[in-house]
Amino acid sequence: MDEFEGELSEAMTLRPAPPSLKNKIMQRRWRERAERQRRRVAWWRRIAAAIVLAGAVGGGFAWRYRQQQRKGEEARQQVLTALRITNHALNVMNAQLQQNNQQEQ
Amino acid sequence: MAVPWKPDFEQLVDEHQAMVFSLALRMTGDRGLAEEIAQDVFLELDRNLRKIESEQHAVNWLRRVAMSRSADALRRRRVQGVHLWVELDEGAGARSEKSGSPLGARLERLLATLPEAQRAALVLRYQEELTPEEIAETLNAPLATVKSHLQRGLKLLRAKAESLREFVRGD
Repeated sequence: MDEFEGELSEAMTLRPAPPSLKNKIMQRRWRERAERQRRRVAWWRRIAAAIVLAGAVGGGFAWRYRQQQRKGEEARQQVLTALRITNHALNVMNAQLQQNNQQEQ
Repeated sequence: MAVPWKPDFEQLVDEHQAMVFSLALRMTGDRGLAEEIAQDVFLELDRNLRKIESEQHAVNWLRRVAMSRSADALRRRRVQGVHLWVELDEGAGARSEKSGSPLGARLERLLATLPEAQRAALVLRYQEELTPEEIAETLNAPLATVKSHLQRGLKLLRAKAESLREFVRGD
């Protein structure tokens, strides 16, 4: 290192930071942290709301599906009952017809 | 087993604010902007504190981010067409003259006239006393490029200082 470089090194000593710099950094840090915390809470709220909403929608669909299944089952039972009644009526008619035929013979 | 380093943010600010501020000031020449850059650098450090493994890592990290933030600020200012290097002139002169070095008083002013890349290399070399290898790592530049910037910057600065001396003598 020659004389010129020595003078350059001497000229390049650290400059003192403004006295308010640390305070400003700490204040901005506090604000940023508070903002991050606020955003985190908002995100969790959104996630919770989304879960509740998804649960409600899913529950609604499940309920509707069950209702439809129940109605379908009821309709099936009604058709079966109607078929049983019809079958019974036809059996009675058939028996009567057979009885009539025998009497005529 | 080594005890893991526990960073104390406030202590890091106390210890390194002058270094970060000086780097930003010498790169931009604007005290207000340098202060803003220093704030941004420390806030970014706070966000990345978990990744910092040691005191030396923190210092290197601060240097690297301070230089890159200063370069970004200079780029933004260039786009906006604002000329920097106003405040450093008077401030540097007055302070350095008080410290007693006649040429040193003007060296900072001359440093401001160098191209940005050469200035960055010289600031890291003579303010931070880094080796060319360390400068290359800090600036994320090839070693040969850094050596060339150092050489050219020093040569240019020397020539400017010489012509200034002659001008003063001639006066």
